[in-house]
Amino acid sequence: MSIVPAATPPLLQVSDLSLHYQTRQGEARAVDGVSFALQPNEAMVVLGESGCGKSSLARALLRLLPRNVAHYSGAVHFEGRDLMPLGEEDFRATVRWQRMSMVMQAAMNALNPVVRVREQVAEPLRIHSKWSREKALARVGETFGLVGLAPDVLDRYPFELSGGMRQRVVLAMALVTAPPLVILDEPTSALDVLTQAAIMNVLKRIKREQDISFILITHDVATSSEIADRVALMYAGQIVECSPARDFFHAPRHPYAQLLMASVPRLRQPEAPGAIPGTPPSLLALPAGCRFADRCPQRFARCDQPPPTFHVDGSTVRCWRFAPEGAP
Amino acid sequence: MKNTPRPISKATAIRQNLSRFLPFALLRLLGLFVTVVIGVYLTILIANMGGKVDELRLLQIRTTVGEQVRADPAFFDMPVAERDDIIESRVTLEVKRRRLDQPFVARSIDYLLAAVRLDLGRSEEMHSDSGAREVSAIILERLPATLLLFGTANLAVFFSAIFFALRLSRRYGSWMDRAVIALAPTSAAPAWFFGIFLILVFAFLTPILPAGGMVHVPPPEGRVAWGLSVAQHMVLPLAAMFFSSIFISIYSWRTFFLIHSSEDYVEMARAKGLPGRLIEQRYVLRPALSPIITSFALMLIGLWSGAIILEQVFNWPGLGSLLFRAIGHRDTPMIIGSVVIFAYLLAITVFLLDILYAILDPRVRIQGGRS
Repeated sequence: MSIVPAATPPLLQVSDLSLHYQTRQGEARAVDGVSFALQPNEAMVVLGESGCGKSSLARALLRLLPRNVAHYSGAVHFEGRDLMPLGEEDFRATVRWQRMSMVMQAAMNALNPVVRVREQVAEPLRIHSKWSREKALARVGETFGLVGLAPDVLDRYPFELSGGMRQRVVLAMALVTAPPLVILDEPTSALDVLTQAAIMNVLKRIKREQDISFILITHDVATSSEIADRVALMYAGQIVECSPARDFFHAPRHPYAQLLMASVPRLRQPEAPGAIPGTPPSLLALPAGCRFADRCPQRFARCDQPPPTFHVDGSTVRCWRFAPEGAP
Repeated sequence: MKNTPRPISKATAIRQNLSRFLPFALLRLLGLFVTVVIGVYLTILIANMGGKVDELRLLQIRTTVGEQVRADPAFFDMPVAERDDIIESRVTLEVKRRRLDQPFVARSIDYLLAAVRLDLGRSEEMHSDSGAREVSAIILERLPATLLLFGTANLAVFFSAIFFALRLSRRYGSWMDRAVIALAPTSAAPAWFFGIFLILVFAFLTPILPAGGMVHVPPPEGRVAWGLSVAQHMVLPLAAMFFSSIFISIYSWRTFFLIHSSEDYVEMARAKGLPGRLIEQRYVLRPALSPIITSFALMLIGLWSGAIILEQVFNWPGLGSLLFRAIGHRDTPMIIGSVVIFAYLLAITVFLLDILYAILDPRVRIQGGRS
């Protein structure tokens, strides 16, 4: 059962993915029953406040699990293959960076300080594709051009680069093996606005020119709107709404999405942007019913029950207000 | 530096590096030399108790000379006054010879100049097994024994600690990791303490190993038999040193590696799907190489002083027991001599480490010259 009906088979189909961490205070349900599908050459933005589990979702997809995992389950079908039964070594050797790469949140420190940039970027090609040094370095040069880096950066060490340059290097590293899927975890959150815009432009260009899918994880509504084909909004470990970008930015359905969009300041907007009262629930002690109910202005009796995901006009919404008529 | 895409040839780069490096190296050497001089002078002051030892020396000279003269049959028939004159003149001669009539400060400078020139002088009370009184000869005679025993022990501890620590840092929280943490406090007891127990158990209760010394008495004929005998004598002190420091070493290196393997770039390497061994070598060990090398170098020169009590316990003829005896005899030249050599070794090591850092770590090499 595909969530978004589509002619082409989805590149990535995630069903009921969960990742819980063991902490001293109990189990933190960072990713709790997340399902979505991603089409080839599609850019999906995962929006959410910090702590809602969006980075954990990225880690769960690339199986970069910390030591304190309490629970990791669900199904991940990628390029027609079920990834979950793969052994650790198989996953490392066949999926990581060859088929799915990632730009980490802390891109500033994501580079080894004592290895030249070109060696680090060439590494996946040398290891996974067993390319010769010359061939790999030629490809690295190409990728540097793609992300807008001058060739002389190749010979530099990471500490000789500015933040924006480092971010581009990390991006080049994610693109160097030309994987069908790149996960970007807050790729621009540590950068100034101009550099952010430049990086987003690079992403847009790459998406236009290449057959590549992005999952862009961010809390920044404004930047995400530039590149998104579809938006998944996360709240307290769940995706509460997943809609085509146009729908999401202009007519969001979930009450949380509506409030979120109302809180984004717009140019020439007469009234002050709204705020959402309250704080998200702790991932350690989630409410039994709808997780947004406590902050929701449209709350009604059914919200004490956990809402399932409803399909509405090409979107999915996890809210009782979208329950079809006559459903139990 | 952002706007210099102009390519620099390798030769130019090396020349630039060298021209930056040479003034730095000279300044560093000068600074280290000053440190050595200060350290040695302090040692001279302390070993002479700020000149107080001179009073003891004067007394000693007077007693020795007096006894010599009185015991000499040639002076038996002399009147007491005449004999006292002879004693007095000999004492004066000896005081002049050892320049005790000059103020201590002046002499201390002379000592310092000699020490810095590595002219270690003659021991006052001790001599080597071959009878030489030169401090350098006595030290050189003891050096191989210390190097053999402590070199073996420290190298074994260092490399096995790093090896196991890397393993443990990957399996942090496992039962092995917990066991090492639990055993780490055993290192609170010094090696000689373990030594006493080992001697008790393996030399007396079940006499399978020698209790002390370096070879059997009389030494066995032939190189092989001699080597075997030395090896046999080394087992217990080696075991004592190994067990007294292995757990704490593993523990501290493991913590060190844990910190280094939680860096973002290690996580990134894992995400890139690099094999574990490569991550360990290129992403954990290599960025952490400078502190590892530092610790290794300091360990190596730490061999110089040996271990005073352990060598006593095992009756090992090394530098530690030499220093112990020198302190007991208040043999100032001996004490100063061994400190001077240690000071020079330390300074040279620090200097070499500075160069090594630059070779190993591009952050030092490239940024060092700019600041």
